[in-house]
Amino acid sequence: MTTLEVKDLHVSIEGKNILKGVNLKMKTGEIHAIMGPNGTGKSTLSEAIMGHPAYQVTQGEVLLDGVNILDKPVDERARAGLFLAMQYPAEIPGVTNAEFIRGAINARRPEDDPMSIRAFLKELDKTMSVLDMTEEMAERYLNEGFSGGEKKRNEILQMMMIKPKFAILDEIDSGLDIDALKVVSRGVNKMRGPEFGSLIITHYQRLLNYIVPDVVHVMMGGRIVKQGGPELAKRLEDEGYAGLRDELGLDIKLVDEEA
Amino acid sequence: MTVETKDYLEIKEYAQKVGEPDWFTALRLKALEALPQLTLPSFEKIKYQRWPIQLKGALKQRHSKPELLQQLSLKDAAHLVVQLGQETVTTKGLDLFEEQGVIICDWQTALREHPTLVKKYFMKKAIKVDEDLLTAQHVAYLTSGLFVYIPKNTVLKDPLTSYFVQDATEKQDYVHHVIIVAEENSEFSYLENLTTLGQTETTANIIVEVIAGTNSHVKFASVDRLGRNTTTYLNRRGHLGTNAKIDWSMGMMNDGNIVGDFDSDLVGDGSHSEVKVVAISTGNQVQGIDTRVTNSGKHTIGHILQHGVILSRSTLTFNGIGHIIKGAKGADAQQESRVLMLSTKAKGDANPILLIDDNDVTAGHAASVGRVNQEQLYYLMSRGLPKKIAERLVIRGFLGPVLAEIPSQLIREQLKVTIERKLVDGQKDE
Ligand SMILES: Nc1ncnc2c1ncn2[C@@H]1O[C@H](COP(=O)(O)OP(=O)(O)OP(=O)(O)O)[C@@H](O)[C@H]1O
Ligand SMILES: [Mg+2]
Repeated sequence: MTTLEVKDLHVSIEGKNILKGVNLKMKTGEIHAIMGPNGTGKSTLSEAIMGHPAYQVTQGEVLLDGVNILDKPVDERARAGLFLAMQYPAEIPGVTNAEFIRGAINARRPEDDPMSIRAFLKELDKTMSVLDMTEEMAERYLNEGFSGGEKKRNEILQMMMIKPKFAILDEIDSGLDIDALKVVSRGVNKMRGPEFGSLIITHYQRLLNYIVPDVVHVMMGGRIVKQGGPELAKRLEDEGYAGLRDELGLDIKLVDEEA
Repeated sequence: MTVETKDYLEIKEYAQKVGEPDWFTALRLKALEALPQLTLPSFEKIKYQRWPIQLKGALKQRHSKPELLQQLSLKDAAHLVVQLGQETVTTKGLDLFEEQGVIICDWQTALREHPTLVKKYFMKKAIKVDEDLLTAQHVAYLTSGLFVYIPKNTVLKDPLTSYFVQDATEKQDYVHHVIIVAEENSEFSYLENLTTLGQTETTANIIVEVIAGTNSHVKFASVDRLGRNTTTYLNRRGHLGTNAKIDWSMGMMNDGNIVGDFDSDLVGDGSHSEVKVVAISTGNQVQGIDTRVTNSGKHTIGHILQHGVILSRSTLTFNGIGHIIKGAKGADAQQESRVLMLSTKAKGDANPILLIDDNDVTAGHAASVGRVNQEQLYYLMSRGLPKKIAERLVIRGFLGPVLAEIPSQLIREQLKVTIERKLVDGQKDE
């Protein structure tokens, strides 16, 4: 079992404080969901955990099995077991999807013991069929010209091939049609097990019907303001965030409110 | 002014030793006499004039130890010429070509056995002896080279590969000349590899002339990796007859300072030159690349595509010159030059220069110098790839469009390997 703990995390970007003391603790074997209004800092939290250089941690810690990882660059964090399915994955021309994924797997193995091409292709084939992806996607350049939904599927493909300990999925459901939503959920559920934990950021309760979380966190104004079970997501779907905010007596302006 | 006796004697002595025909020795002396009136050529934004690029005049016969070649892992090829320093070490599979009337021989042999052809083409059509100081010095001190002649209607499908290995284990300038003559309706494909053995500070002066006759098609590819302490003037020039085509694909992977002057003269109507250059500069080196296509004939096509990457404190300059002469109706001149910076201390320049003297033409250019995309790097690294590998992948993507346009699969693969090696070495300096 591995633990991931975020302790009193403060993060700013371009001098603006976004996260104002986030606390969160999870173990492998668990699925956590984070919901919250637009612009509240959910992507900021995931990028800060992963180690995007533009996000500045001003206070707090991120502990992987009790070890602070904040002084490590992003690639070391990835090799330590973290994975982030990004809200907006980059496009890399000239590098095929397959060779990239193989490179990522081999980066985790000793230099003199890379995964054989044959074993890799077999596993890639199998995984792509779980995700209903055509073979052709493996030979295309990484994310280049992929549709929004194809990019999301490709993030899940990478996750399944790399097998991280913790996967943060940032709006993996945005832009997916109903069938794709089921396919992607199938992929995540296949990973479920004692060696895998996931933090799922979503705006829609529907995803959580397919991937049922153990814990739901609500984030507002740069903090986690409430935790609960799957029923919390249902309540938010019905009531929106204003009700919860007022109940908690928070002084936060939601994006779609009039000034 | 008269020629200094020292040089004169040296040239005479050398000529005697190697059994050089008198007419060529006379040409050397003429070049030597022209030197005082000549100046260094100038290239936009390439300041090389203070480099040790001029030949100091040491015309000596020199024998290199063939065992030296064991230090290099030269890739085998079906049709091969390997030269080390001034001598040919290996040839292979040339008989198949020669049966068809093709001539492939080294420089001294060409002078002795094919004087009529050499006199006709050597610095007559593509380049002139007294064009500038460097071309004249070239003739005065030339000691090695290759002569290739493809007769009329001869089509060679398989490529000829050459390795020209500069011997820099001792102080000696490397002065090398290649002539490729492709006669009417012929086809020829050629891969040239320039490399250096040894670390002595030396000067290289290399000229390649490709004379493409009516309807001929020459595919010229090169993978150049001259050494860190070699200062080079490299001039490759094509002279194209009616409907002739030259595909140039050049990988500038040198480690030292170099001026690359790559020109195509589209003389015949309907002639066509495609110039592809990929370059990587590392360490403290300076690579200045001046690529020109001149459209003289009607309906001629000149395309330049060059992409380069700069690391550490290195410099890379791409000039792209598209020159359309008055009367070249229907000519097309297009160019794209791009430089990717991996280091803030590196200097890159991409200069499009269009000189258009006729109205009935099409022309266009694109140029850029930019930093490596940080989001791409972050994305790759977020999957666990170390920074250096991630950088190399982004670079590969950047060079990809040029590599994809190179007509031969073999050369594409070879270039990829050399690019990877040069980048790995270069990243050690970061
Ligand atoms: N590069 C940046 N420069 C300036 N502000 C930024 C930058 N990145 C994020 N922000 C700001 O930080 C705040 C939090 O953004 P973040 O992307 O974390 O929100 P989010 O909760 O993921 O929202 P959404 O649900 O819309 O994805 C927003 O106000 C956003 O505008
Ligand atoms: Mg977001």
